[in-house]
Amino acid sequence: MTDVQVIEENAANAVTAEVVEKDKEAPAKPPAENNKPPNYKRISDDDLYRHSSQYRMWSYTKEQLEEKRVDTNSRAVASIEEDLLKFREAHNLIEEEVKILEAKAFPLTMEEELSLVNFYAKKVQVIAQHLNLPTEVVATSISFFRRFFLENSVMHIDPKSIVHTTIFLACKSENYFISVDSFAQKAKSTRESIIKYEFKLLESLKFSLLNHHPYKPLHGFFLDIQNVLYGKVDLNYMGQIYDRCKKRITGALLTDAVYLYTPPQITLATLLIEDEALVTRYLEMKFPSDEKIQEEEPTENKEAQNDGSKVEKDEDQGIEDDKTSIDSAKLLAVIMACKELIEETAPLSTEDAKRIAAKNYYCQNPSSLIQKLKRKMNEDTSAPEKRQKI
Amino acid sequence: MSAIREVKYLQEMQHPNVIELIDIFMAYDNLNLVLEFLPTDLEVVIKDKSILFTPADIKAWMLMTLRGVYHCHRNFILHRDLKPNNLLFSPDGQIKVADFGLARAIPAPHEILTSNVVTRWYRAPELLFGAKHYTSAIDIWSVGVIFAELMLRIPYLPGQNDVDQMEVTFRALGTPTDRAWPEVSSFTSYNKLQIYPPPSRDELRKRFIAASEYALDFMCGMLTMNPQKRWNAIECLESDYFKELPPPSDPSTIKIRS
Repeated sequence: MTDVQVIEENAANAVTAEVVEKDKEAPAKPPAENNKPPNYKRISDDDLYRHSSQYRMWSYTKEQLEEKRVDTNSRAVASIEEDLLKFREAHNLIEEEVKILEAKAFPLTMEEELSLVNFYAKKVQVIAQHLNLPTEVVATSISFFRRFFLENSVMHIDPKSIVHTTIFLACKSENYFISVDSFAQKAKSTRESIIKYEFKLLESLKFSLLNHHPYKPLHGFFLDIQNVLYGKVDLNYMGQIYDRCKKRITGALLTDAVYLYTPPQITLATLLIEDEALVTRYLEMKFPSDEKIQEEEPTENKEAQNDGSKVEKDEDQGIEDDKTSIDSAKLLAVIMACKELIEETAPLSTEDAKRIAAKNYYCQNPSSLIQKLKRKMNEDTSAPEKRQKI
Repeated sequence: MSAIREVKYLQEMQHPNVIELIDIFMAYDNLNLVLEFLPTDLEVVIKDKSILFTPADIKAWMLMTLRGVYHCHRNFILHRDLKPNNLLFSPDGQIKVADFGLARAIPAPHEILTSNVVTRWYRAPELLFGAKHYTSAIDIWSVGVIFAELMLRIPYLPGQNDVDQMEVTFRALGTPTDRAWPEVSSFTSYNKLQIYPPPSRDELRKRFIAASEYALDFMCGMLTMNPQKRWNAIECLESDYFKELPPPSDPSTIKIRS
């Protein structure tokens, strides 16, 4: 945390005002005095965001994210392969049995794991919405679930077993009180199965429970667009955009955008999907780029940049301080990339999910393959194959 | 639930004036938090009559408290239980805001909240009225009451129960009127109130003998009835009280143990 030490202002010079409510209120009054100490530095909202656990622990570059997934997957693969080997050594297998194991008992690839996690993350959303939970609780449930499987492999913990646990913990974390028993009853689950992995979940989340979702920035932009483009936008139309973006944001939470971009960037990306012309006009008005001398971006920002991902949006600085203006073209490029990521993420079909889940089951339970084979050989009939139920 | 809250908010805050969460572990089905060791708190110091402290010491403590509170607020976190007992001292005299068991995110404008928060003596008038929505202004009120308590060395508004708390609060600071706080009379409990006039400047001077004019401004800013007009953390930190003499004491030199 050394690089983000909070600078404490000298009492005699007093702290400088900051915009506390993003986009909602007029910029706070400028500092009354100009005799700032030499180490004077204003803490921006971006600095504060960089302090958040969401940024510190759950924001990555594309490479870091990939690396993390490869790591989680390869650890699981190693242990599954070891188990399979042990299984083969422990049992005296006949040739057909070895064959079927070699044909079907394989650990999942990283891509398969990811598809399965996202498939179940969608289920989390559907179940949480079915339980009539508030938007933020639904969002946090999805976030918890997906973060859990950045740390854990579906080959070690069945995603099904963690679905209700994540929703229950999200309720608690978002201050939406519901007792475990009434939750179990509503979700048609049991107290034990919900509680079982609760600590494991907390631990995997590294005890970071506070989520910054893009809904609040959406409200901010909703107001600020009307402000910046005063008289040029229709209120009813903005209302429609707002409602549609809210849905799109929930969809975006199922993509990797949440790990690569900040909440306001994701919000702008969803707005871009709805009305590209509106957002472009808004950003150009908000951050006019006709200045000849472009201020150098703070070094922190440069470090955080990595092929366009994880770029901080210094929007609030732009409001308050004309010197650190934002290049709207550059910002637009970042949001475009985010938009593409949101749009390209295709949902997994139920058939594919079933196939991957079955593979996941067999690699963990090779004996079931053997038994199935034995039954088949005994009966030798064309009984319909029992599929793994998802 | 309170453990979850504590973890959730402390994870987000690294600040010299907020208690540090060092580790978390699970044992015997309980969530255990390892917090920074802080040997004493402001309540103990206020009550220990063998400890003498100066206006400069009070200023140093208010400054540290407000920095901690400001850090909460700029991170969109309401503390909701500020009192001397929750302002802890580190061995080097730094004040640390602690106990986030009642904390929550600063609510959106339409959110409905419970007004049953904050320990009674430090409860802002809007909470006494049972407001269903409130803001970070409730924390500032608590700091204001703590400031008064530091100057008096006895609790400033010690209500016996919730009804008495209103009585005590308004007797000391005047009953708010619609003029100073539009629509305050629309709270259901407003009608039963005795109307007290706000204290004159002279009355305040007599009550807080050692306080400078800026110190009184500072206190009145925090103890403004109308939460819309009450000072926010920035206004408090920028107040002239902190700019006038004496400068705040160096925290490490203040004697806080007898």
